[in-house]
Amino acid sequence: MIKKLQPIAYPLFFLAMMSMPAFLDPRWLAVATTFIIFTIVALSTDIVLGKGGMFNMGQALFFGLGAYTSAILNAKFGWPLLATLPAAILIPALFGVLLAGPIVHLRGDYLLVTLIGFNIVFIQVLQNNLGGLTGGPNGIFGLDVISLPGMTDSPQLGAFYTALIALLITLLVMFNLDKSKAGRALHYLREDELAASSIGINTRVYKIFAFALGAGIAGMAGTIYANQYSAVSPEAFDFVQSVLFFSIVIVGGSSVPGIFLGVFVMFVLPEIFREFATWRYFIFGFAMIFTMILRPRGIWPATFGKIPRRLIKEGNNGN
Amino acid sequence: MDIFLQQLANGLTIGSMFALIALGYTMVYGVMKLINFAHGDLVAASAFVGLFIFTNLFGSGTSIFIAIAVFLLTAVVIAICGVFLERVAYRPLRTAPRLSAVVSALGASMVIQNGIMLLWGPQLKIFPDLIPQVYWDLGGVVISLIQVLIMAFSLILMIALYIFIEKTKMGTAIRASSIDQDAARLMGINVNNIIVTIFVIGTSLGAVGGLFIGLYYKGITFNMGWQYGLNAFIAAIIGGIGNIPGAMLGGMLLGLFNAFIAGYVSSTWADAFTFTLLIVILIFRPTGILGERVAEKV
Repeated sequence: MIKKLQPIAYPLFFLAMMSMPAFLDPRWLAVATTFIIFTIVALSTDIVLGKGGMFNMGQALFFGLGAYTSAILNAKFGWPLLATLPAAILIPALFGVLLAGPIVHLRGDYLLVTLIGFNIVFIQVLQNNLGGLTGGPNGIFGLDVISLPGMTDSPQLGAFYTALIALLITLLVMFNLDKSKAGRALHYLREDELAASSIGINTRVYKIFAFALGAGIAGMAGTIYANQYSAVSPEAFDFVQSVLFFSIVIVGGSSVPGIFLGVFVMFVLPEIFREFATWRYFIFGFAMIFTMILRPRGIWPATFGKIPRRLIKEGNNGN
Repeated sequence: MDIFLQQLANGLTIGSMFALIALGYTMVYGVMKLINFAHGDLVAASAFVGLFIFTNLFGSGTSIFIAIAVFLLTAVVIAICGVFLERVAYRPLRTAPRLSAVVSALGASMVIQNGIMLLWGPQLKIFPDLIPQVYWDLGGVVISLIQVLIMAFSLILMIALYIFIEKTKMGTAIRASSIDQDAARLMGINVNNIIVTIFVIGTSLGAVGGLFIGLYYKGITFNMGWQYGLNAFIAAIIGGIGNIPGAMLGGMLLGLFNAFIAGYVSSTWADAFTFTLLIVILIFRPTGILGERVAEKV
């Protein structure tokens, strides 16, 4: 039923998103833009965490790497922000390969802590202003903005639509990944690594591939983020953010609609309940616990591929 | 040479605290295969509970009995919190996918951290001098009474725990459950009781660690749990998670490493060095120094 609705639901969703700026005041437009950016990062986390089954608690590192690549190239070398985009995708992807290479063989929790470690080291590098490039604790500000045709007078609107285009690209990558050889390989790998390698899947290559792809997409989101705020600063890419993305994917159930719900619940709801500033995270923690108890596989669990119903045994719905 | 001895003393002090906290992580991980992310926040909570108990029940004064009473009461309160945490956040998820329990632990961490903030406010609090400030100058190396007490008391607790785990019936049951829960259940061990016991022991040791942090560093904040918790967790991993002597060894190693880096290199890159150490150790020994090499089961 839901599968059948999807071809209609996504275009409708995008139409609704495109008409959003008509109803939102500037503050909520900014929230909507950040919502889209966080969704992209959460989707990129899902490539490693949900599809590959590797405990990725360091995605903010790649997000920040993309943002800082754009910011440094723009502020120090005068590149237009749009021209920095390829670099902001390739450099995080390269770092994804370099950092994941030595550690992908680690078992779940060890990988998780190592990635938190990379993220913390990254923040320390930014704060200590390595090579005089990163601007220390204040970060880099006063960046250019990407101007879309017809929206040169409203940077906010431009940021929103740029983010929406990036989201569209990300979703296309995600859907194609599910149907591709690499996506199937990652799925087997998550289900049973030993079985996957015994049917000839090079697990190491695909694990690193997942990291590189996730890092590239997160890097793209980083550029959009730098574009929205025309500034970057270290605390936006702290490992606490990685923990947030991790939670979003698991609470959502590592499916695309689930991740949209997850980002909405974990990012937009706290914005709505801003008046209860001191209480909101307290209640949020409880909400996380009870969501997991009531729906251990997440709010909207992912199903993989399209297996004909006649091939599925009774009581096993293809998971 | 003075710097070396001074940092050795500081490192052993910090290492003792890391080791005490790391034991809580490693024991829970050993049996439940779960990173108890809320442990660090319980440690932070214990410093605040200790502060509350001291100011409300005793007011002021530094006698050895007051200090002991504060430690015992705090350990009891935090142990109750730990058991409650297990009951609410972890027990319903014991058969769920592992990541669900991790997120539940993260949620619990958020609840405790923000709970502390709601109760005691977001500002830095100063921990009272439960133990008199006495310093000895041993030819250039300054050691305080607090440091000596931390090291001695931690050592006693660790030896006691080691004897408990290795020599008693309960300890054997804990070790059995951490090797194979199902087999342990078939041998008539009540695994639920084991898990509750582990939470009681782990969180009380963490509470002692939290009070030591308060005594040693003075300033306590509601969000310090992650900072110390993460270091202690790294210590547990370095030693080989699930392995109790490993947590002690890892804590001491990490404490000494931190102190020497701070003494000889610089403290602005402290975290970077800590994680480099962790990554190097994990590359060469993927299950930690004392961790068993598990063969992949088919």
